[in-house]
Amino acid sequence: MSTTPPPTAQAAAGAVEAVKVYGTGDTEVRALDGVTVDFERSRFTAIMGPSGSGKSTLMHCLAGLDRLTSGRVRIGDVFLDDLSDAKLTELRRDAVGFVFQAFNLIPTLTAAENITLPMDLAGRKPDGPWMDQIIGIVGLSDRLSHRPSELSGGQQQRVAVARALVSRPEIVFADEPTGNLDSRSGHEVLGFMRYAVSDLGQTIVMVTHDPNAAAYADRVVFLADGRIVDQMESPTAERIIDSMKLLGG
Amino acid sequence: MFRIALKDLFARKRRLVTTGVAVVLGIAFLTGTQLLSVTLSDSIKSLVGDVYSSFDAVVRSPRTQETPFGQPIRTQVPGPVVEQVAAVDGVASAAGVVESPGPELVGNDGKVVGGGFGPPTLVYNWIDDEGLRIGALREGGPPLEPGQIVVDFRTAESLDKRLGDEISIATTQEGVRQYQLVGIVGLGDGSQSTGVRALFFTTPEAQRLVNQPDEFNYVVAGAAEGESQAELAGRIGDALPEWQVLTGEAFTAENQEQISQFVDILEIFVSVFGYVALFVAIFIIYNTFSIIITQRTRETALLRAVGATRRQVVVATLLEAVVVGLLAAAIGLAAGYGLAALLLRVLSGFFTIASTTPGLSVGVVVLAVLIGVGVTVLSAVIPAIRSSKVPPVAAISEVSVDRTDLSLSRRIWGVVLVVGGVALIATGLARVGPNPLYQVGGGAVAILVSVAVILGPLLAGPFSRLIARPFSIGGRVDGRLAGENAARSPKRTAATAAALTIGVTLVTLIAIVASSIKASADDAINNSVQADFVVATASLTSFGAIPAGSTERIEQVPGVAEASPVRFALLRLLDPVGVATASTSTTIPAGQLGAPPEAPAGEDDFALGIDPATWFDVISAGDLQGAPEDLVAGTLAAERSFAEERGWRIGDTIPVYFVATGVQQLRLALTYDEPLGQASLWLPLATFEPNSLPLFNVDSQIFVTTEPGADTAQVQSDLDALFADIPTVQVQDLQEYVQSQTGPINTFLGIVYALLGLAIVIALIGIANTLSLSVLERTRELGLLRAVGMTRRQLRRTIRIEAGIIAVFGTLIGLVIGILFAIALTIAISADNPGVLRFQLPVTQLVVIVVVASLAGVAAALLPAWRASRMDVLEAVSST
Repeated sequence: MSTTPPPTAQAAAGAVEAVKVYGTGDTEVRALDGVTVDFERSRFTAIMGPSGSGKSTLMHCLAGLDRLTSGRVRIGDVFLDDLSDAKLTELRRDAVGFVFQAFNLIPTLTAAENITLPMDLAGRKPDGPWMDQIIGIVGLSDRLSHRPSELSGGQQQRVAVARALVSRPEIVFADEPTGNLDSRSGHEVLGFMRYAVSDLGQTIVMVTHDPNAAAYADRVVFLADGRIVDQMESPTAERIIDSMKLLGG
Repeated sequence: MFRIALKDLFARKRRLVTTGVAVVLGIAFLTGTQLLSVTLSDSIKSLVGDVYSSFDAVVRSPRTQETPFGQPIRTQVPGPVVEQVAAVDGVASAAGVVESPGPELVGNDGKVVGGGFGPPTLVYNWIDDEGLRIGALREGGPPLEPGQIVVDFRTAESLDKRLGDEISIATTQEGVRQYQLVGIVGLGDGSQSTGVRALFFTTPEAQRLVNQPDEFNYVVAGAAEGESQAELAGRIGDALPEWQVLTGEAFTAENQEQISQFVDILEIFVSVFGYVALFVAIFIIYNTFSIIITQRTRETALLRAVGATRRQVVVATLLEAVVVGLLAAAIGLAAGYGLAALLLRVLSGFFTIASTTPGLSVGVVVLAVLIGVGVTVLSAVIPAIRSSKVPPVAAISEVSVDRTDLSLSRRIWGVVLVVGGVALIATGLARVGPNPLYQVGGGAVAILVSVAVILGPLLAGPFSRLIARPFSIGGRVDGRLAGENAARSPKRTAATAAALTIGVTLVTLIAIVASSIKASADDAINNSVQADFVVATASLTSFGAIPAGSTERIEQVPGVAEASPVRFALLRLLDPVGVATASTSTTIPAGQLGAPPEAPAGEDDFALGIDPATWFDVISAGDLQGAPEDLVAGTLAAERSFAEERGWRIGDTIPVYFVATGVQQLRLALTYDEPLGQASLWLPLATFEPNSLPLFNVDSQIFVTTEPGADTAQVQSDLDALFADIPTVQVQDLQEYVQSQTGPINTFLGIVYALLGLAIVIALIGIANTLSLSVLERTRELGLLRAVGMTRRQLRRTIRIEAGIIAVFGTLIGLVIGILFAIALTIAISADNPGVLRFQLPVTQLVVIVVVASLAGVAAALLPAWRASRMDVLEAVSST
């Protein structure tokens, strides 16, 4: 393992020759087929690709929710492949933020409790001013004591974003965060994520198949058949659509 | 539709198992006990039949009285009657039989064998005529000398004695004596032993040992060739009109009847707990079906959307219930059979049992199937109907947790049940209505159900959050989540807890009643007994094993002020109240001829035989009316309230029937305030001795007082020395005496706890079940928690705390209801018998019950918690 090059100072997370194989023999599927990629600190990266391209698998492996068949992934300077389940859980709790497509919140906890959940699990006190700032930014100050069932879909996703940001993680992963939202709520949520990167210095990796969502990112990585096939800096929705047409997505 | 239901059922085997386990346990217990008692009773009947099969006719005294101990007591038959019977035409052979308890067997450890539970020890005389003897020789020969003994082979085996060895017998009058073992018998044809330890002596020795010289318990006769039993009995009855005559068959039937009565009571006792377990199981299975069907709402809605009728949906669920019920009944029956076989094997170590294979009867199979299927289908029918009402649109909705508030009908029914239950208990306690006992029991069930369906769900939410509070101190999120999870579906939490509530209610009730009885006994003894020591028999079953003359010997011990013996008598009161409350006269069974039972109708009671000269120094009897010196021959004393109730006044003549002497007119010479124990009547020995059967005419306890300033430790060790070689006798100080008087309560309590333990185990399975289903339902939520950093340990803790909350909830409610029931019961009992019960909370015991039940609840969560913590995060997050 000592042969692995030291992480570059700018990268918050990365994968080296990542391979993920499901099944064996005839049913073998290579979801990731040798992906090497770095996600720079304080940047917003979108991962795009057609269904089955491996974009979700890549994110799950990067986030420590799934394990690679071969290759290595790291968050900060920690390589995930050698970690026990307990260490991996701790890493997710302390260094990773999550925003899922739906069902992001614990229905029995209030919005405030959902936001502080990872810190409560770690037994740490949230950083008060920082938390207030985050809550102010996502515009939830008057909704804190409500339960998820009393919040709209957009509000729920904003709570999820706040939760992902509040512990100042190394990196935030978002899996189709706007997939279940109407476009207005979607733009609000994406706006907060953009703000978190630009103004607060967060690092965000987002999986999406919506070019309009990906256009909020600093960089888009295109995946097809488990490989990186293209990258684009400072994307616009039109350029993304063009690229995807070329990829046959 | 059926295919879909069945496919669904078998696709989820674990759910099938968890649903069925509760029913399986209930049925196993119920059928197991039933199979056991049927087999036992058949087996014992056939043994009794074998043992007495050689008797063609039995001659005995008509003078008899029923006792609370099962066997009626009866006077003996004088020796000369044997010759009279032998002289009757058609009698080929006749013999007098001694068959009596009294002396005890002393084991190799110097202690009395048996005592309490287990087979009784009976003394028999050796009858030379093999046709009339109970048992056949296997080894050795008959007892020819007074110092020789023959025992049954099982007793010899248990004592590890061989021919020629000495066997120690604790006699009633002469302390321990050694007998030489000269023969070993088997009962029946020689291969069996009945449920007794049989000791055979020469006839005079046997008669001497049981204190009835030249008297027999009954006389048996064998018929000449060609003579039927009925003819023989008829002829003997004609020849000896003053005696009661039975055919051998009638005698056997009577014995079998007495034994099966005992077995029946045992069966009822055990069945009660089986039904309690089943009642708890109903809660569990109802709850399980409710949860499963709620979880399946989307599936049901989809079926409805593609064209299934409501009826089809209901039928599919009921079909599932029938299959689960049938499977559970079959497995439960098999388990019950195994249980019965196991118990028979254990019991066969103590008793001879014809077959250790339980006989499977159609009745038991039908019972198992009926209850198994019935309980399951009934539990499923309400959730099934509810699920069929789900509109197809619900297929789209995401959440499938039953969060509905308590329905109006539920509230109404709950109130009706509470009010009805309270009314039933109240009328039961006030003795209005046909059957107070059933009323109180029914009321209790109604209140329990009501607590489960309305009070429970109302309390479950706030209560869960309250209990969770200590676990969430410092913002601990696992405790907080556990509390919210328990609170989110109050109906489910309440129903799950209710199963535990039932068990805990009963345990609490019984613990309090037992503790109250003990406290009252303690009070009574401490208040009324002035003695410093009590010389008592070692076991309650050995009546009068204190050697004659002990009182005098105790009085010789330095430091002893006084020693006063007490004896025990059964009698029948023939005063107007007694006649009015007499139980219906016993019917005379077929095959019984000659003199009918002679005892007039009256009320059976018991009395203590006392020595008036010393008794009132060792016992504080409260205010006396009349003087102890007035208690001369032909008088009796009564507790004042007892006398007042019956309208007796000092100087009145009370007609009393004694088995030994028939009707006697006794004069009431004294009344007292404080009874000792439950005896409302005291007879001076001058009245007692002439009217008592020899078996009872021995001291059962001697109360001893010391002189002021005497060294009590020295007195006790002197007394101990006095009875050192008599294992049937113990010298107790007052504390030990209280313990010996209340000791059987502890034994009884132990058995009851063990039986109720089953109900609690079922309740715990219910908790495990509910949590498993809840975990399944919250898969995504748990996945999310794990994704954002909850460790496996934290997740397990969350689920364990939730189980703890449910368990504490159920236990505390059970505790409260149990205490309330106990108060009601105490009031009811005290209304009839003031002073019998002093309400006392066994605080330590109740704390232990709560702690154990709660911890057991946490233990029940171990498996679901482990399973939840092993689930794959990614799959959980992306599951639908």
